[in-house]
Amino acid sequence: MINIQRRILIKKSLSATTIAMVSSSGLLLPQRVLAHWPTEAFNAETVEDVLLALLGKANISSSQKLNFSVGKPAKRIVNGGSVSVEINSELKDIERFAILVDNNPFPLVMSMDFSSDVLLPLKTRIKLVKGKSKVIAVVRAGGQLYITRRDVRVDTGGDI
Amino acid sequence: MLIKAEDRIRATLRANNTHIRLLLAHPMHSGRQMDENNMVVKAEFIQDIRCWRNDNEVLVIKCGSATSQNPYFSFELGGGQVGDTIAIRWVDNTGAKGDIKATVDS
Repeated sequence: MINIQRRILIKKSLSATTIAMVSSSGLLLPQRVLAHWPTEAFNAETVEDVLLALLGKANISSSQKLNFSVGKPAKRIVNGGSVSVEINSELKDIERFAILVDNNPFPLVMSMDFSSDVLLPLKTRIKLVKGKSKVIAVVRAGGQLYITRRDVRVDTGGDI
Repeated sequence: MLIKAEDRIRATLRANNTHIRLLLAHPMHSGRQMDENNMVVKAEFIQDIRCWRNDNEVLVIKCGSATSQNPYFSFELGGGQVGDTIAIRWVDNTGAKGDIKATVDS
């Protein structure tokens, strides 16, 4: 009888120590907490999945309020490795801004979280695949989504 | 000889707003390209860029591998004055880090 109880005690204490070891080693922590990088959104392969992962469900408003330009000159881009992109808008309280390219292997290019201090215009440079694609700008402001698209054609694709 | 490229930042006051231009020196390899020996070039791209103004975090940028080589950003911060400190820090997917600071000029 005493023996059986001792077995149980040893078993229990063993499993308790393994759990303690594993949890302290950090293996159980979700990857996202460690990386602070929205892996799901960046690894999504369709524009819809990116929007869902990054911005959730929100009402889509008219795109009239976004002023978005891609490439210099626009329409016909020679080097897809470095394409300048500019966003401007009169919208206030912009929370998040994202750039997507529908034909890139992974559509999400970048996502920015704005504090109230940040003002537009904002310029950056992105990579595009060869051929035709749509460059999509998404802005979330005041719980609304504003989306606009630009058609481009690229002669030489970037290293995507 | 290999010329070591450096991150650059310029912050100026324009019409009472702080205008920031940022150029980071980074190859931004996506991990899906081949080099001249048909070997895959390892993924190496900046994932996270943060901007502070006088210890207040103002902008967080999450990058994917489709951000251009030597990423460039230009944006404005409302208000500000000459002498404000603008600090940038970045981290890439391999864990490499960089930081750069600038003082706002007139």
